[in-house]
Amino acid sequence: MHKFLALLILSLVVGCNNSQNLDNTNYDEPALPESGGALTNAMIGEPNNLIAMIAGDSASSAIAGQIFNSLLKYDENLGFEGDLADSWTISDDYKKITFNLKQDIKWADDEPFTCEDVLFTWKKVTDPDTRTPYGSDYQLVSSASCANNHIFIAEYDEPYAPALETWASLHILPEHLLKDENVNDTYFSLNPIGSNYYALDEWTTGQQVKLKTNPNSVHGRPLLEKKITRIIPDLSSQFMELIAGNIDLMNINPIQYSRVFPSRSELNDKVNLYKEMGNGYTYFGFNLKKKPFDDLNIRKAISYAINKEEIINGVLLGLGEEITSPYKPGTYWENKTINKISFDVSKSRELLEKSGYELNANNIYEKDGKPLAFEILTNQNKQREMTAVLIQRRLQDIGIDVSIRVIEWASFVNRFIKTGEFEAVVLGWSLSLDPDQYSIWHSSQQGPGQFNFIGYNNPRVDKLLEDGRKELNNEKRKQIYDEFSKIIYDEQPIIYLYAGYGLTAIHKKIKGVKKITPPAGVFHNEYEWYIPKKFRRNEMSL
Amino acid sequence: MKKIIKNPMSLAGLIIISIIGVLAIFAGYLSPFDPNYININAILLSPDGTHWMGTDALGRDVFSRMLHGAQISLLVGIVAVGISTIIGIILGSVAGYYRGIADTIIMRLVDVMLSIPSFFLILAVIAFLTPSIWNIMIVIGLTSWMGVTRLVRAEFLSLKERDFVLAAQTLGASDIRIILTHLLPNSLGPIIVSTVLGVASAVLVESGLSFLGLGVQAPTASWGNILTDGKEYIQFAWWLSLFPGLAILITVLGYNLLGEGLRDNFDQNT
Repeated sequence: MHKFLALLILSLVVGCNNSQNLDNTNYDEPALPESGGALTNAMIGEPNNLIAMIAGDSASSAIAGQIFNSLLKYDENLGFEGDLADSWTISDDYKKITFNLKQDIKWADDEPFTCEDVLFTWKKVTDPDTRTPYGSDYQLVSSASCANNHIFIAEYDEPYAPALETWASLHILPEHLLKDENVNDTYFSLNPIGSNYYALDEWTTGQQVKLKTNPNSVHGRPLLEKKITRIIPDLSSQFMELIAGNIDLMNINPIQYSRVFPSRSELNDKVNLYKEMGNGYTYFGFNLKKKPFDDLNIRKAISYAINKEEIINGVLLGLGEEITSPYKPGTYWENKTINKISFDVSKSRELLEKSGYELNANNIYEKDGKPLAFEILTNQNKQREMTAVLIQRRLQDIGIDVSIRVIEWASFVNRFIKTGEFEAVVLGWSLSLDPDQYSIWHSSQQGPGQFNFIGYNNPRVDKLLEDGRKELNNEKRKQIYDEFSKIIYDEQPIIYLYAGYGLTAIHKKIKGVKKITPPAGVFHNEYEWYIPKKFRRNEMSL
Repeated sequence: MKKIIKNPMSLAGLIIISIIGVLAIFAGYLSPFDPNYININAILLSPDGTHWMGTDALGRDVFSRMLHGAQISLLVGIVAVGISTIIGIILGSVAGYYRGIADTIIMRLVDVMLSIPSFFLILAVIAFLTPSIWNIMIVIGLTSWMGVTRLVRAEFLSLKERDFVLAAQTLGASDIRIILTHLLPNSLGPIIVSTVLGVASAVLVESGLSFLGLGVQAPTASWGNILTDGKEYIQFAWWLSLFPGLAILITVLGYNLLGEGLRDNFDQNT
């Protein structure tokens, strides 16, 4: 027993020495591209289904995106380029898109890829029996057909501006493997056969998903031989794994970015940091169906009382931007002419008093004996929770009594959002590439589980959103969405709080990462990344 | 009382509990800052002369939050155990004194409750309620009375056979009188021990719930939620994890020492 213990301790000591030796490597040394090696990253949750249209969670689509292709994809400037399609043409009346598919392509199991696969996928995504949240976009296609083996035609009754975007986000599935299967529940969903750079190698439930290169890949062979995604549910454990060199990249938080890294130079010898505008924004939303939030003065008063700059500095340590429209700052669709509502306590009080509120003995505003008090709901997300605390403090200062409730995501959605049983929320939306915001703001989208759960209803906005979908002229479209953004900002159904930067840490041994991040993001050229042989991890230890 | 002081274990426990109790009661006077005062220019400062335990991610003073957190933790611990002890005494007395069908029902109920892992039971119940310290106290109280019930019942079973109980019965004393004046006072020792130990475990449960975000809600401080807030910054802001962790450890240790010490004393008596 004692011998065994001694051995154990010895091996621990040796183990430590080993990792220290590794630390001395100079990762800045230049190296030529060479294929092979494995990149290890981490994700919080386990993918549940690699057919992305069924899964709908980000873990699943991250893995599925490595395995499947769509017809189109985004280039590095966020324009479209062919993925499974070589080229495409849009008819003069904007109602018909013809895709010329790549020829002589094979699925990973050596079966040929044809137009029938595309048609099959469209039929599945629009089939009412398929349990997918994405069906409605494709149901707008009035007829889809194959002119021959490599020409796919989609026709619409009316011009549909986001059409190309929808074809860039639909993974094409192999018909020959799925035609007799129930896509909702099939062996294929965990053992997919695709056409993209990688194919599933090995999946250890609860531990890791391992991908290997697909010899039939549409776009040729990537340099990295394997991609390993470890499932590590806790972000602070992920960060420790990054520091220990056991994972090669991860998204980090502002504290790690601007406090931990600057204070530890040995980390900067190993890891490069990338900062880019993130893909989402955080907002404070009112339940417009409840009093007193149907009153524009109250909403504006609250907006004036919230110090957005303070939130960005406090929660994001300055690593974020204020926004006035639901589009990425600096992009084409952002309405740059909107005057933002800045922190102004006296304006806020003025508006409250205009609506008939008066301060009572406890320094809380009240009207008809009813104090102005409500509850902010948010999910278990540290940044949102801290944001809520800062808002609470500012509103308390002015005389609005606010409590905070933090709830786990599933019950947050099912018990409060879907039932409309909330007063105010701190939540986020993604900043999409297409300006279409129909599903969030159109008055028809208020059913349970739909996205307009705050109950926004404005006929003019409805009209703009409908027109915007049919308008394919970018300048006219921009006018439509500029007016839409202006109305939303004037009415403050939600208060835009911030759009945070995406912060990514990538180990220096990974070469080929672009120094200047393109608009499409740091991961856009991940298929050109490589790990020089001298920096590779001993794979036996995995 | 003398016995407590003579026994070094219970003495140490008593001192620890008293210190923490005094700190908690006078938190309002002792805190150098308002525990909820946010200062975004003082985010995550390490401990120094001004902020003895540093500041958190919103620039709030951790020492002040720890003191106010002590109030919450002790309040939850004591009230929850109060509830469970009262339930335990009532059910245990009925079962131990009357036996028969009541005893069978109560003891099977105890078995059923004990067969469910209590922390998960509490988690499940809390998930359906609004998380607030009052709900937490009630739920912890309602799910931890089984130990006391068993203890009281066992004590009553043996005490009931004693001559003085028989004497009281012969003199025509009512059941309530016998239970309250003869049986309960004589089984007080084990009850006190289990109460003291119960506070320790209730403090732990409250910290656990707050750690999971189901306990005391922001911005109110509790040791558990200071600890969760710190989890994210553990490699960088060690003070956010160390101090609440230590506080929980020391408090639980204090109650356990006192409990164990008392148990030794009572065992010597019998």
